[in-house]
Amino acid sequence: MIKLSTLFWLVLVSTTGFAMFAVKYGVQSLEDELNRTKRATIAEEHAIRADEAEWAYLTRPETLDEMNRRHLSLGPIATKQLRISLSDIPLRVTTPVAVDASAVAEPPAEGALPTIPVPTMAPILQEKPTEGAELVKPAAAKALAKPVPPRRPRSLDELIAQVAASR
Amino acid sequence: MAARQRFDDNPCRPRHFKPPPCRAIVPDGPAKQALEACRTRLLVTGALFALVFAAVAFRVVEIVAVGGGAAESQIARFRIVTAPVPSHADIVDRNGNVLAATLDSPSLYGNPKQIVDAAEAARKLVRVFPNLRAAEVYAKLTSGKSFVWIRRHLTPAEQYEVNQLGIPGLEFEHEERRVYPDAALTSHVVGYTGIDNAGFAGVERALDGVLKERREPLQLSLDLRLQYILHEELQRVIDDFTAKGGAGLIMDVNTGEILSMASLPDFDPNHPGAPDPDSRTISLADRMFDRITLGVYELGSIFKIFTVAMALDYGTSSLTSTYDASHPIRIGRFTISDYHGKHRVLSVPEILMYSSNIGAARMAVAAGAEKQREFLARLGLLKTPKIEVSEVGAPHYPAKWREVNVMTIAFGHGISVTPLSFATAAAALVNGGILRRPTLVKLPTGYAPQGQQVISTRTSEQMRRLMRLVVEHGTGTMAAAPGYVVGGKTGTADKVSGRHYAERKLLSSFVGVFPINDPKYLVLTMVDEPHPNKQSHGYATAGWTVAPATSRIIERIAPLLGVQPVDESAPEVQRALMVESMQGKRIEAY
Repeated sequence: MIKLSTLFWLVLVSTTGFAMFAVKYGVQSLEDELNRTKRATIAEEHAIRADEAEWAYLTRPETLDEMNRRHLSLGPIATKQLRISLSDIPLRVTTPVAVDASAVAEPPAEGALPTIPVPTMAPILQEKPTEGAELVKPAAAKALAKPVPPRRPRSLDELIAQVAASR
Repeated sequence: MAARQRFDDNPCRPRHFKPPPCRAIVPDGPAKQALEACRTRLLVTGALFALVFAAVAFRVVEIVAVGGGAAESQIARFRIVTAPVPSHADIVDRNGNVLAATLDSPSLYGNPKQIVDAAEAARKLVRVFPNLRAAEVYAKLTSGKSFVWIRRHLTPAEQYEVNQLGIPGLEFEHEERRVYPDAALTSHVVGYTGIDNAGFAGVERALDGVLKERREPLQLSLDLRLQYILHEELQRVIDDFTAKGGAGLIMDVNTGEILSMASLPDFDPNHPGAPDPDSRTISLADRMFDRITLGVYELGSIFKIFTVAMALDYGTSSLTSTYDASHPIRIGRFTISDYHGKHRVLSVPEILMYSSNIGAARMAVAAGAEKQREFLARLGLLKTPKIEVSEVGAPHYPAKWREVNVMTIAFGHGISVTPLSFATAAAALVNGGILRRPTLVKLPTGYAPQGQQVISTRTSEQMRRLMRLVVEHGTGTMAAAPGYVVGGKTGTADKVSGRHYAERKLLSSFVGVFPINDPKYLVLTMVDEPHPNKQSHGYATAGWTVAPATSRIIERIAPLLGVQPVDESAPEVQRALMVESMQGKRIEAY
């Protein structure tokens, strides 16, 4: 009887001891890992800070201006470009204008989309002559009404069609 | 008895435990004393143990429950790694562009005792840092000390390269460094720092305490894009007119936020003491000097807007009042004459339009010294401006306000204020009469700080109409930016040199507000000692120097600020800016 209880306590003590050490070492290795991760995070944070500063340095207005001058030549928005608000732009003309068949070289594939109507500037000017005269300077209106050379696309859709034709 | 004897002698008989007869032990004498001592010792030991265990239990409870598990182990291995907090928060512009950042910048040091081959190490290090001299590095590495600095503040790329060398005995020390990616562009506003990142100038110095406490970046009201435009246009004016310097300011008239502030020539805050690589002739002190907040100037004619506003607000003049400007005024040793002389009687709008010194002087005299002084004080022009940079200049004005002072102050001479104070007061004249403290810190969107009503809304409206007139028909026609309805005032002052005014040294300035029918932004530009060029037909006055620059600035910044251009000839705009007294009168083109 005595021996049984002694055995029980012995087993209990050794199991608890073992479990305790196992947990302790487990915690230690987890903490090590945590610290490693934290150190890595800090290193990353420092790198991010450095990158942010470098980004600010590389995108400073001076550099952007220089790059623009070299590659894009964009200019500031002129006042006349802002004169007309979005509501002044007329809606797309719904009457389809026949597209020059020769312009589109490739025949439409099976299940092709219906032909996109190509609007021109002329009907717009005809539709809103009074508003156009008020908003656009007479000289500018004249320039718009002037017949454009045949090779120059008159609208974005036509330009796309021309590009498609040249392919 | 015999039977019992026999019974006892039997070895096989069952034996029963039989306690010996008890008797109470009554210790006595030395035995008793020993027992008492024993008991006392036990008690003391027990109490001690209880105390120690209680202390341990208490500590455990404290660590786990009270301290929230934040206790730090003394053993390095178990210490929780925490990120080092940068000593100063970053500074960003109103759109989040970094203006100043604290970067981890390791410094390289060597431990000569651990370095095996000093000659090779020196040779390799010089390859990474071409600025270092091999002989010096070799001398350091063979000095026999255990610590020598090799190079402070390395870039991440340099640190990587040094690590790649793999020389034992080279170590890095964690240090921080303040970097300014935009360099000179924001130099006077942001300022710069010295050792330990302590602020030495600008926002860095004025808000040093705030920057130390903050974790989040500090957002300034500055807009980097506007700053660049202002900087570029000012530089252009300086180059075109071979001027000594220039300064400019863009302010939101309804909140007091400063969107851009530049003073040229400027310096690189990353290397504050270094000479300018482009022009070595300009002194460091001149480049460090902030002309907007620290410099005090006799701004000249742009001050007339205050004279007119004062006269209109006190009611000593009205828009239809007229003053004789046909002859120069002689007072004491001064002669007040007109630069753009009309030599006739001028109405109040004409005085401002043609910038008549005589007219302005007569207007101020009509109001009196008391009113003039009180009015300028009300606009905050007689005290040092308050702003988030440490360099601010105190105004200079006469202690005794005599008649001659009244006259000269009327057209901006005899009183020196900072351009910042001027802009703040000018914003109050046009925004409905509310004086707001200028600020460099971004305010929440839609928030306008409490201001002080300094002039009536009626006077403010009249001032807007008059300032429009200056740009439409007066001296500031070149400041017009079609579509943005600019209103403003030119000012060309003779600079003081010694005790006299220097005739050929000018300070040309222009204050512009747009759109003047619904004021949003104020642009103040000034150029120091401009010289006439061929394009300006021999003029170096404000109308020919800074007025066209203001026009260019407004045309460039307005789209960025979301100001929609309007048709200036539209009836509602015309009606809002009409000056009744000028109706039907022929306006002489200047």
